[in-house]
Amino acid sequence: MRGIFQAVVAAAVLLQASALPVFAQERSAVRQGFTLAPQSGKTILLLRPSVRVGEQSTAGMPEPRAEWTDQARNHIETALGEVQQQLGNVVVAAPEPFGDDARSVAEHMALFAAVSRAVIQYQFFVGNRLPTKKRDNKAGQLDWSLGPTVASLPGAGGADYALFLYTDDHYGSTGRKMLQIVGMVAGVGVTSGQHIGYAGLVDLKTGDLLWLNADFQMGGDVREADGAQKRVRQLLEDFPGSAIPKDDTPKQAAP
Amino acid sequence: MIARIWQAGSAAMLALASPAQVEPTLPPPYSGAYQPQGIDEQGLWREMDEEERRFAQSDMLIRDQALQAYVTRVLCDTVGQDRCGATRVYIVRVPMFNATMSPNGLMQVYSGLLLRVRSEAELGAVLGHEFGHFESRHSLQQLKARRSGSDVLAWTAMLGALAPSYDTLRTYRNLELTIIGSIFRFGRDQEREADSLGIGYLNTSALRPQAAAQVWERLMGEFEADALAKGLKKPRFDRIPFYATHPPEAERAATLALLARPDAAARDDGAERYRAALAPWLPQLLDDQIKLNDFGASEYIIQTLAQDGWTAPLHHARGELHRMRGAPRDLVNAAQFYAQAVALDPLHAEAHRGLGLSLLKTGQTVSGQAALRTYLALKPDAPDAKLIGMMIPKEVPAP
Repeated sequence: MRGIFQAVVAAAVLLQASALPVFAQERSAVRQGFTLAPQSGKTILLLRPSVRVGEQSTAGMPEPRAEWTDQARNHIETALGEVQQQLGNVVVAAPEPFGDDARSVAEHMALFAAVSRAVIQYQFFVGNRLPTKKRDNKAGQLDWSLGPTVASLPGAGGADYALFLYTDDHYGSTGRKMLQIVGMVAGVGVTSGQHIGYAGLVDLKTGDLLWLNADFQMGGDVREADGAQKRVRQLLEDFPGSAIPKDDTPKQAAP
Repeated sequence: MIARIWQAGSAAMLALASPAQVEPTLPPPYSGAYQPQGIDEQGLWREMDEEERRFAQSDMLIRDQALQAYVTRVLCDTVGQDRCGATRVYIVRVPMFNATMSPNGLMQVYSGLLLRVRSEAELGAVLGHEFGHFESRHSLQQLKARRSGSDVLAWTAMLGALAPSYDTLRTYRNLELTIIGSIFRFGRDQEREADSLGIGYLNTSALRPQAAAQVWERLMGEFEADALAKGLKKPRFDRIPFYATHPPEAERAATLALLARPDAAARDDGAERYRAALAPWLPQLLDDQIKLNDFGASEYIIQTLAQDGWTAPLHHARGELHRMRGAPRDLVNAAQFYAQAVALDPLHAEAHRGLGLSLLKTGQTVSGQAALRTYLALKPDAPDAKLIGMMIPKEVPAP
């Protein structure tokens, strides 16, 4: 009986969880044959990072929070400027586009989001590999592309690569934490908070996806300057040719 | 809040029972440019601002300045110049009857709505309803209702897990149904409130408020025609299903008819102006509708549009609708409709194309090829010119 009830409760609580699959393991991959020597002096175009910070209600519903999102955006942009030196490359922010350019940027951002979701779903999960990505010559290769139209993005002319960043954070509310504690007593597993982030590098000449790092349990409280720096370090730590030291501290963010 | 809305809902029900006492509604006094207050509302607005940044660049938008300005003007004529400044109107190319309003003032008007309303007053009725959601900040109340409902459920489930028994499980299931049902009922009451606000704006505007009920009456007609064509049971417009997001159409039509100011019935509804403004877009809107493959609904829409007189685009759309379904009897009908379009407008190239294709398929090769030749002569650089050229012997255009 207890088991049935726990299953029901777990279902009720998990019902509110995010639509993306929650998996603990961090994944990153580099396109075959792509190397970026440290301090190679390439120019990287940073597209407007997608930053969303909210609170998680007791039942797990996302509640948007304007102040946290604004803080996180500022802190992440500052932190990016600071780690830029360690990347060994020049990172320039993409100009604010308008008119047809803005439409093109929006389209490519959406395309990148779709491609990276596909990589996370179908490449990082080996069991999910698509037949076309399973053949002998494709095994273990990162072979995805946005197509050569990326060369027409505003600011692409003077840059070699484009960097996309995405973070989505929900911090557990007090109610959620209380529920988690009672859940421990009741024997129902309740997760509090959700910290998803991914970063990708795209070749601005060919549109090929060169590197992708996805982590669905990121560390660092993006609402604060220190935390945002840790988050950016974690997002970029596997960046090809970067001199960022691997973070050995436990990655779990504040719940 | 829930109790208050519920009272309002009950009041509306009572009002329905005694039509003689109904006062036409008027909008509340306008409180000026509103800024979000409290963390929930600020969060919602901030999230929608970010979404609007992306949405404004979407390829689904119809970027016709004249049409956009016209729809905005209808909104402003309905809700008043002071109020409409708080909104941005986007026309989205989706062939469905809908319009949405976001908490920060982003209004989406679906192209399918433009096809289904017949006058400025009818369009204003729907836009005013959406504006009512905005002015009453319904998204915020909905967020709060969902949050408190799901919070109660989460705690009940957790405490139930501490004392598990079949009774607890049954109690939990009952509570779950109650809460989910009340969240949907809350949403329906918000729609009722938005309806009464929308008709309030129309009452104070210069447009004819009686048009609001017509929108729903015509929509019910379309649903009936669609069900009939599909061989389905006649739809019920008086029932409220458990998960219904809106009140039933019959209730909305009846309430809106009651709340409209009777002395305003003689006002202009702007049907002529609406038809003129929409004329350049009508062929595309009809084409999008036909591609939904809803024969009954599309035929109903064409027929109701034709009540003001058949035009070449309407005959052509009817031909397309029949040719798309493509049964031999449809092709005979289609050829007839295209011929009517051509008779009204001999320069309508696509009608010649449809006529030719329909005639070819019904075995009338010579007249079919003649029609296709006319098509190519009228539109030599048509994207399908080579394909059509292959159906006419010895007249393949040079590649």
